[in-house]
Amino acid sequence: MILHATQYLNEIWRKRYFWMSLVKVDLRKRYRRSVLGIGWSLMHPIAMTGVFCIVFSQLFGQDILTYAPFVLSGLAFWSYFTGVLTESCQCYFSGEAYIRQSPAPLAIYPLRTTVGMAIHFVVALVVLMVLVWSTSGFGNLASLWMLAPTLLLFFVLGWSVAIIFGVINVVFQDMQHMVQVGMQALFYMTPIFYRAQMLRDRGIGWIVDANPLAACLEMLRKPILEGQAPSMAATAYACSFVLVMATIASLTLAKVEKRLIFYL
Amino acid sequence: MVKISLKDVGVQFEVRRHGRVTLKEYVLKGMFRRKRNPVITVNALHDVSFEAQEGDRLGIIGHNGAGKSTLLKLIAGVYPPTHGTRDVIGRTSSLFDVTLGFELDASGWENIKYRAYLLGETPQTITPKMQEIAEFSELGEYLDMPLRYYSTGMIVRLGFSIATAIHPEILIVDEVLGAGDKSFLSKARARMDEMFQTASLVVLASHDLNAMEELCNRVIWMDHGSIRQMGPPKEVIAAYSEQQTSTSSKLAA
Repeated sequence: MILHATQYLNEIWRKRYFWMSLVKVDLRKRYRRSVLGIGWSLMHPIAMTGVFCIVFSQLFGQDILTYAPFVLSGLAFWSYFTGVLTESCQCYFSGEAYIRQSPAPLAIYPLRTTVGMAIHFVVALVVLMVLVWSTSGFGNLASLWMLAPTLLLFFVLGWSVAIIFGVINVVFQDMQHMVQVGMQALFYMTPIFYRAQMLRDRGIGWIVDANPLAACLEMLRKPILEGQAPSMAATAYACSFVLVMATIASLTLAKVEKRLIFYL
Repeated sequence: MVKISLKDVGVQFEVRRHGRVTLKEYVLKGMFRRKRNPVITVNALHDVSFEAQEGDRLGIIGHNGAGKSTLLKLIAGVYPPTHGTRDVIGRTSSLFDVTLGFELDASGWENIKYRAYLLGETPQTITPKMQEIAEFSELGEYLDMPLRYYSTGMIVRLGFSIATAIHPEILIVDEVLGAGDKSFLSKARARMDEMFQTASLVVLASHDLNAMEELCNRVIWMDHGSIRQMGPPKEVIAAYSEQQTSTSSKLAA
């Protein structure tokens, strides 16, 4: 079993030039003939942050200097996560011609989606850093190393959900529409533009406490915004959530690796 | 060592008469939907067994839909066997539909790289071959343009040039030379002959019976997804053409 997994990962690594070039194609295609280029991937979270700041920093009585980085960090994670989820639904269809040509591990097509989104996420993260440093100084530098496990976790999470939803969408194409509706609902149940404490104060804290994405967000926010380590509870919850997703993804792959082509 | 060994191999899959099943249908399955969208089992291949070693030039003949392409895709590893065992040792390269699997927004040069990477090349191994591929394709300046602006013939030339620049141990060919103009066609023939010389094992499916008799040392006649006859080219091809003429005369009568 372990041997099999290592072999599989090895095979993915051997094909790295292939899927990395596909990521490059995707990026270039997306910004073909656009003035801002990759800047567009920043415009969305930045513009949304502006809107949320104007409306909600007043409504919630928040200081705009701490609220803006808070919202931007939430939106950066959110656009990564929804991006992976919605784009991965198409990953096996856009890779169909390759799948029919030459055998390659099926995990590389969701990986293509995930890496593309991860690049956008990292760019957004750089903007976030600049924003934090300019609003509240360099107090977080000492804790930035804690981002390494967070980013790894996000990557595994993205890849796993991409595999799961990519495969489901091949079998049931209704999935991509359900994902869009579901993500909209989930957006309001995740502490992106409000603080988890606000819900807890009103006695409905369970919504965010049960939400594994809220735990993932804490792993991003604590080190960057507060210069602190995320709580043990959040870390444990986020890690187990990702572990469960990765397990489901592996089992899914093991089941469909040899059969998916018949469904395409 | 290079070898292909198939034991009682079958490829069987299910399709729905009216395309894919939706989630709604899946949930309602067993109520009333089943009758409207029945499952059809496609028995694309069954009970196929043979072995091929180094030096073999294997030809596959048969009517349309007899399972030739499925068999080739199975050997190439694109289709997994749903029954039996498939054992292929050696680096394989396949020439199926060479026009498939290009990124239309990328240039010819870039597509050469992507395709080569998919076939297992690395930047180090492909760089020396790039020039040769470009020259063989005769596309010149077009290689700097996105594939979106290529004609079908140009894409065929590019695909063929890439696929044949990589020297595999096992070469799998499914009637590729459809498009392309006359001068390229004769060049492609020469390239194929050269590949037939250098690859240690070749599997070829074609309707060109004369070429088969010339190129192959063994021929498999596929019929309704299984092997009808296998043996020396002369014998099998004679039996096949005899059956073909008898069915066509029956149709005429």
